Order: sequence, then structure tokens, then C-alpha cells
Amino acid sequence: MAKKLAVQPSLHKVIMVGSGGVGKSALTLQFMYDEFVEDYEPTKADSYRKKILLDGEDVQIDILDTAGQEDYAAIRDNYFRSGEGFLCIFSITEDESFQATQEFREQILRVKNDENIPFLLVGNKCDLEDKRKVSLQEANDRAKQWGVPYVETSAKTREHVDKVFYDLMREIRARKMDENKTNNGRGKDKSKKKKHCCLFMCC
Amino acid sequence: MAPPPIVTGLSPNEGAPGTRIKIRGENFGSQPGDLIGLTICGMDCLLTAEWKSPNKIIAISGPIKGKGDVIVTTKYGGTGTCNVTFRGYHLATIGPMKESAVWVEETPMYSWGRHSLSPSSFQQEDPLGLSVEETENKISEEELQNYFPGKCGDIGSQNFSPAWFLLENHQATSFNDIKAGLVYLTRKVHSQKEGQLSFLKANLNSIMDQIDTLMNLRERYEKDLSVFGSTPTIKLERAIKESEREARKLFDDVLSRKDRAEKTRNALNVLQRYKFLFCLPCVIEKNIKKGEYDIVINDYMRVKNLFDKTEVPIFREALNEVEKRIVELQNKLHTDLQTMPITVDQQKRLIRYLVNLDCPFDAAWDAIKSRWEYINKKFKEIYNFHKNTDKLESSKKQNSASKYSKLQIEVISVPACINFTDEICAVTSELFPDLWKIGQAYFSGELQVKIEAGRQVEYKHMVLTAIDSYSKYIRASIIPNTLDKSDRTQYGSLSSLERDEISLYLPELLRSVRSTYSTLIQLDLPNEALDIVSALLVDLRIHCMSILFQQTTEQIKHLSENWKISFSGKYTGVTELPLKFLRLIEDVIQIVKESALSAEQRETTLLDNVSAQKELEKQIDNILSAFYMVLNNLSSTEDFEDCDDNSPVVSQLIGTPVGSQKPDVIHDIPTWEHRLLITLSNCIFTKNTILNDIATKFRETGFSSVDTPIGVNRNKLEMLEKSILDRYLEQKSDPLVGTIEPSMYLGRFDWDINVPPTDIRPYAKECINNLINVHSEINNISTNLLDTILVKIVETIAEELYRLMSCVQKFSKEGAQQAKVDIEALQEMFKDYMSDNAHGHFKEALTHIPVLDGAQMTLVQDILKQCRARMRTQIICLRKH
Ligand SMILES: Nc1nc2c(ncn2[C@@H]2O[C@H](COP(=O)(O)OP(=O)(O)OP(=O)(O)O)[C@@H](O)[C@H]2O)c(=O)[nH]1
Ligand SMILES: [Mg+2]
Repeated sequence: MAKKLAVQPSLHKVIMVGSGGVGKSALTLQFMYDEFVEDYEPTKADSYRKKILLDGEDVQIDILDTAGQEDYAAIRDNYFRSGEGFLCIFSITEDESFQATQEFREQILRVKNDENIPFLLVGNKCDLEDKRKVSLQEANDRAKQWGVPYVETSAKTREHVDKVFYDLMREIRARKMDENKTNNGRGKDKSKKKKHCCLFMCC
Repeated sequence: MAPPPIVTGLSPNEGAPGTRIKIRGENFGSQPGDLIGLTICGMDCLLTAEWKSPNKIIAISGPIKGKGDVIVTTKYGGTGTCNVTFRGYHLATIGPMKESAVWVEETPMYSWGRHSLSPSSFQQEDPLGLSVEETENKISEEELQNYFPGKCGDIGSQNFSPAWFLLENHQATSFNDIKAGLVYLTRKVHSQKEGQLSFLKANLNSIMDQIDTLMNLRERYEKDLSVFGSTPTIKLERAIKESEREARKLFDDVLSRKDRAEKTRNALNVLQRYKFLFCLPCVIEKNIKKGEYDIVINDYMRVKNLFDKTEVPIFREALNEVEKRIVELQNKLHTDLQTMPITVDQQKRLIRYLVNLDCPFDAAWDAIKSRWEYINKKFKEIYNFHKNTDKLESSKKQNSASKYSKLQIEVISVPACINFTDEICAVTSELFPDLWKIGQAYFSGELQVKIEAGRQVEYKHMVLTAIDSYSKYIRASIIPNTLDKSDRTQYGSLSSLERDEISLYLPELLRSVRSTYSTLIQLDLPNEALDIVSALLVDLRIHCMSILFQQTTEQIKHLSENWKISFSGKYTGVTELPLKFLRLIEDVIQIVKESALSAEQRETTLLDNVSAQKELEKQIDNILSAFYMVLNNLSSTEDFEDCDDNSPVVSQLIGTPVGSQKPDVIHDIPTWEHRLLITLSNCIFTKNTILNDIATKFRETGFSSVDTPIGVNRNKLEMLEKSILDRYLEQKSDPLVGTIEPSMYLGRFDWDINVPPTDIRPYAKECINNLINVHSEINNISTNLLDTILVKIVETIAEELYRLMSCVQKFSKEGAQQAKVDIEALQEMFKDYMSDNAHGHFKEALTHIPVLDGAQMTLVQDILKQCRARMRTQIICLRKH
């Protein structure tokens, strides 16, 4: 109980989406622990959370690293619902993964029902320039079309790894501030009502 | 204390029991052993945890249900925190026929039988036929548990609570929907009942078949009853028993064999299981041989933990065997521990072994004691060794003394007592630090043994006696006079050395002791111990100083005079002797300063020490006296040949010309008078210059109390100077003055004459010439002496003249004129060396001459004038330039 009462830094929930093997886990581990994992181990759903300093403010980042593999596609909906911001990853060495981003984008918009949800299009494995299949132009065009930023990263060299996470968090923070202004306190009322209902039922 | 561990990542974050979870975070310890606890959702999972790195652990989830933290506990960071949660779920209910990765309590699973039998079991997922709600705002299981204690939402459970079920699954469903759900459920239940009926209808044929079969069975049974009687079961039983007996007959053998095999297998199993114990004696022996004592100790501890309280005789036996080996090992280690030489680290290791082996000895203390005894033994050994060589050497010396010159004896190797001191210093420097180190380790608790009462005192005693005997051995062999009689006999005596011999080695020896001392200082010994060596050093330094001075004194005693006067350089009119003397003193001061005087680490300035000061004063006095004696000897030894020459009865023979020396006299040695003069000059020079130089030298070096000896010796030199002077005067002026009278009255001269004077009389001329002779003799040696000596001679001449004049009975006019001329002339000639006394005597002499009138005086003046012209050379001789 005491834990919940203590002033907790604000929590930003980030979700990693993208096809299997594009490097979601690699990016996450690089960001979280400065390590690069060579072996590919398909993810089911991983949780990470740590304190960081965002523009001088203590915040907590919660990263949900989701499954890219189709086998797990069914559980995605549920996860997406809790996300406050999305990193949509594809591998610049694999066109298929780039095409798949379209589907992910749609699914997110459907679940969140919000055109302006914080979202970054990320082209990973940019260290493998010689194996590039997705041109910068293509990716940029798509990002522009969606109205989101496009960043190329490498989980291997750590290039732009911090950038994508921090940029996304800034967007989330900005979104939250807007929201707080417009509909302050609404969520709280809702939960209170529910509590009442429970108590009533048990009596 | 390390920071507490924190879990920041889980991969995956949910899973069924048996899921392999990668746990990431920080501060998971630096090695696998640091991980001492891991719970996943409150379930202890340490057993499956695999420590990978300080921020990664892999574990396998247990039978968990619901969300919870993953908590890591480390040895140094304590219990940690968790940022993320893991959700455990059961994929499906686990029945007895189903394989499961983990142990699952079966009791709540009672309902499986019924479910599987009923043709259409409930769709437990959604019995109301309403779609299941989103999980988002679900009420947690704990909360529900609070509301409905002991109940559950499992529709198949005995404790099923409808309210729980509704809250869990249909919290947000409207009442109408729930009503609709109820209708659905009712219909379902009905349909199930209807289903049974329709089931019968559909399978009528086979049911009829079954009834027919049952009828058949009954018919057959009744027929059998009539044939076999009413108790067919008894018969049956009997038959079964019979067959069992037969079977046993067949199988007993096999079974017994099987039993035996089983027993053997069991025994083998036991052997296998306790192989460790049974092999241990051998293993221990092997490891002892290899010196792997750590392994032995480890094994021993393990076996003790496992079997110490065992009652099983075979185990006991094995244990005793082990025990026997261990006792042997203990004894061996204990002996090793006390076998010198051994390093402190080795000893520490052996002590640790012994402590770990629970040995009955006080190993640490024994180690200390053996070290101490070793030092003592070593001291004695060294002493005895050198005592032997000493004996050999001294006997050799006695034999050789007659045959060889002194020089050759000195060539003989370093004397035993020096070797001994050197070696004892080295041994102390080498062995003592170890005694101290092991003692420190013992008392600081590093050895992890119980320190018994009184040990501190005993140890201190050891340390002090060790250092004390070190000091006493050195004293006994170098400065035995600083020891009590009893100590002197105890610490023995190597033959002590000649002064010259020891002075050769003393500075080196001092260095050895000092080096040992600095080793001891570095050990941070208590002052009480250090002071022993410090006192030894002070005594050695005093001794060293004293010896060096004594040696110099000896050298001074042997200084010889070469009688060569140096006329060039800083000091003229003196020979090299005083300068040699000064040089010797300067040299010794330098050596003393370098060796004895210089104060090193934790040493006092030697001269602050009262006894050192006294000794120094004494030595300085000795040195100075020695030189005094040298001068004294030089001034008192007349050689006979010269003596003959120097006893002139007749005039002109005063002062021996250089050429007239006897041929057998060595050329370089001047005449007795010359030697007197030279010595006198040296004496004065020493008194006025050298002594001051010496005083300054001493003071510069820090010897402050030199004034007394210098003063004393200055006085002594002054006396000597006087006595030499007297002797010289006696030698010179007595004959000179003694000739005046006979010369004056030579040829029966009478002052009552009537021959007018024309010149001064021969006696006066002779007197003048004699004085000139003396003058030249002195001038040859040192002009500085002229004043002192000539004045004295002139004084006696004047006195003699006065005496002679006063004895004259009668002067004639001419006689008076003559006397006036003579005395005036002499007075004028000698005026540069005229003392007031002499002047008075001349004056008085003149008063005895009758007064002359003007004409008579004119004659006197004339003669004097002529005289002056004639005797110009003589006058020049006696003038100071
Ligand atoms: N050269 C290079 N290799 C990368 C990079 N990022 C990831 N990889 C490699 O790509 C493979 C897949 O990476 P993951 O991070 O496991 O892929 P994922 O997106 O998490 O895949 P799922 O978990 O199945 O969705 C691994 O072998 C990584 O080593 C990158 O930036 N450069
Ligand atoms: Mg992954």
C-alpha cells in the first residue's frame, strides 16, 4: 500500500511493434541494458521498466516488447490497448517487414481509436547498409503520409537507439499534458463509481 | 554492502508453470554464489534460478496463478525490488492423466471424473452464453477472496459462489443481460436432461441388446448354481489358493534369488552412496601425500558433518580410520609448523589447517614459541661456531706470532668476534621480524585462534629477551666492559681485539647493528624493545669514538720529528710535526663524525649523552697530552755526541757550526740547540695556532666541551715552552755570560790602568760576536724566537756587567773611560733587545764607573763613533729589520 502512496514519477508506456526478427527486442535490450544480442529468440511478450531522466525530469519508462511472429498475433489486440506510444519497427533489410508496418499501423489505430497516438516509424538494422532493401525515400514517404517521424536505427551500433525512445516519450508526455488540460479528472470518477458498485454488490 | 538488486525486465512477462524466464535488472551480485533468493509471484524459485551475470538470471516459473513481483535477494545487497510483473496462468486444468511440468496439488481437481463422463460437459468458459468481458477492469482474485472467504468462482467447485462468478466475469453486464444469461443457462441445463432421453431413444437397439445379454447372464448363473452347489465361491477360493501354492512352489526359488540379488544391489547401493566415506581414508592419505591439505580439511569437515553422530558400526569404523589419518596429519602439520626455517605465511597456512582440523594443540602459540626458540638456538649456534673458529685462530696466532711479522698477522682473515657480530645482526634482521609478524597475527586475531590469558605478557617477555640477548651477545663480543660479570660469563667471550684491529671493523660493525635496528624500527616494536638496541648503539658509538681517538692518540705518540723547518707556506719557522698532529686530529674527527657521531633513525645525538661527553673529554685530553709528551720528549733527549760538543769551556766554541758534526751522526738531525729551538718554535706554534684550530674543528663538529682539555694542555705547553727556553738559555747564555769575566780580565787586566782607551775591549767584542752567533742560530730557525731569547740573554749580560762593574775596586781615569766606552757600546749594540731590566742593569753598571769630565767624555764619544763605524756589520746583524 505504502508503495502506491509514495509519489511515483510519471510512467510512460511504450509498445514495440513490428514483424518478427526486425530487432524489437534488440533495440529494447540495447536501450535498457546497453547490450546487443546476436541470437534470435522470438519474443512472446516481455516487460521492461526503469527510471530515466527525461529532460531533467524523473520518469519511468515501461516497455512492452511484443511478438512479431504471426503465431502470437492473436494476443496483440490486448496489449495495444494499454500502450501510450508505439515504436513501429521494420528492418531496412527486409521489404516484407516494411510492408507489414501498414498492418500494424492500422491495428493500432483501430484499437486506440486515435489518429494522433504517439508513434514513430523506425527502420532498424541501418548498420547493414549493403543489404538495404527499403529505401530511405520509401520510408520517409510513408511516415509523411502517416504524419509521423521516421528514424533509422541500429541496435547493433546503438545508433539513434536512445533517440527513438526519448523522442517517443516526449510525444507521450506532450499528449498527456494536453489531455490533462482538456479532461482532467474524468478517469478517476469512473473508477470510483465502479468501486461503489462492487461494494454494493457484496453487501 | 552492495546496492539492493532491482528487477527491470522479464522475458516473457507471463506464462504457464514451467516457463523459462529471463530476469534482467541490476545488482544481481558478482558471482553465482551471491544469489541467495528468488521468488516469482511469491513462489520460491531459487532452485531453478541460474545466475548469468550481474544483470541477468534465468529461472523457471512454478505453479503460479495471477500477477506478482519477481524479487531477487543477494548476499550483499539484500532483498531487492521489482519494477515489472509476471503473470502466471494455467493453460488447462491438469488431470491425473495429463503430463505436467510441475507438481500440482490434485485435491481441488475432484471433478474431473464427472465432467468426463457427462456426454456434454459445461462450457465452463461462458456458462451464461454472454461474451466474456474485457479483462481490463477486472476485480483481482485477492479482492474477491476478501469478499467471499473460502469461496471460488469455479462453477464446478463445491465452494462455487454465484456472486463471485458474476463479479469476476460479468461485472459490467446489465441486469437484463444477466437475466438473459440465466434463461440461456436454464435452457442449457434442460437440454442436457432432454438429451439423456433422446440419447436413449436414439440407441434403443443396442440398449435392448444389453438387456438381452444381462438376461442371458442371469440364466447361466442359475444353471451353474444347480450344478456346483450354492457356494461356488468357496470352491473357487480353494482352487485359487491351490494354484497360488503351486505358483509359489514354482517361483519361491526364483523369488529368493531375486531377494538375494536385491540385497546385493542394496549393499552395492549403500557402498556406492557412501563411497565417499569408505574411500576417504585412502583419499586423505593420497591428498596428504600431494600436500592438498585444503581438500583433506574439506573432506574431513564434510564427513564429520554427515557421520559424526552415526551409530552404524561400519560407518563408525570408517570414521575412526579417517580420524586416525587426521590425527597423523595433525601431528605432521604440528611438527612442520615448528620445524625451522619456515616462512610466516607457511606457518599461518599450517595454523589455519590445524585450526580447521580441530587440533588439540595451541598451534598458533606453538608457532610463536618455536620461532622464539629458533632465534635463541640460532644465536647459540652462531656463537659456538665462532667460538670454535676463534680458538683455532688464536692458537694459530700464538704459533705464528713468533714467525711472522706483525703485518702478516693482520692479513689473517676477519676476527671471529666481528664475524659473529655481523652474523648475529643478519640473523636478527632475518628472524626477528617473523617472530614479530606471527605474534601480531596471533594477537590481532588474524589466526582465528583463542588467545589465552597471560599470553601477551609471555610474548612480550619473548620479544624482549630475544632482543636483549641479541644486544648482550654483541656487547659481550665487542664491548664486554658494559656487561655485568654474570652476563659476561653467560654470553661468553670471544677473544677481544687489539685496538688497531677493531678500529678497522668498528664503522662497518656499527652499520650492521644500525641496519638491524632500522629493521626493528620498521616493525613498530614497542619502545621498550627498541630502547635496548638503542642503548646498545649508544654504547657502541661511544666505544667506536673512544677507539678511534685512542688509535689517534697512539699514532700521535709515534709521530716523529724530521727537523725540517718549513720556510714557505702559511706557517714558517716550524716543522711538519704540529701540522701532522693537526691533520691526524682532523682525520679522526672526520671519521668519528661519519661513524659514531652521525645520528640515524631513532638515535640521539651522541654528544647529548653525558657519559659520551665525559669519554670524549678524556679522549681529547689524551690526544693533546700525547702530543705534549711528544714535544716534551723531543726537548729532553740530548744525544751524547752533541753533549760533548756543547760543553764549551772556552769562548768561540759556543754554537756549533753545522759542518763540525760528527760523521756518524745522521745528517738530518740538527744539533741539540737547534732541536731545542725547533721544538720551542713548534711548541709555541702549537700553543698559539694549532690548539685554536683544533678547538674550532671540534666545535664545528659539535664537540662543545673541548675548552677544558685545550686549556689544560695550553698551560702544559706554556710550561714546556718555558722549560725549553730555560734549557736553551742555560745552554747558550750561561757560557756566553760566563766568558765575560775571564775574558775581561784576560792578561791580568786591571781597570786601574793608565792607557787611554782606543777601542772597545775584546771581551765586549767577543760578547757582541757571541750574541750575534746566537742571533743567527735562532734566526735560522725562527725569527719569532729572537725577541724572547735575545732579550733574556741581553738581560743576563747586562746583569753580569753590572755585577762585574760593582766588583771593580778602583777605576783609573783611563779605566773609567774604557769601561764607559765598553758598556755604552754594548748598550747601544743591544738596544733592540733591551728589556727594562737590562736597561736598569746597564744604568747601574754605569753608576759604578767614576764620573768623567767633559774632555774625558769627548774621548769616549770619539771612540764610540769610531767603533760604530768599525762595527757596522755587527750593528746591522743585531738590528731588527
Ligand atoms: N546487424 C543488425 N542486426 C540486428 C539489429 N537488430 C537486431 N538484429 C538481429 O536480428 C535478429 C532478430 O532480432 P530480435 O530483436 O530478436 O527481433 P524481434 O523483433 O524481437 O523478433 P520477435 O521477437 O520475433 O518479434 C537478431 O539476431 C539480432 O541480432 C541491428 O540493428 N543490426
Ligand atoms: Mg523479440
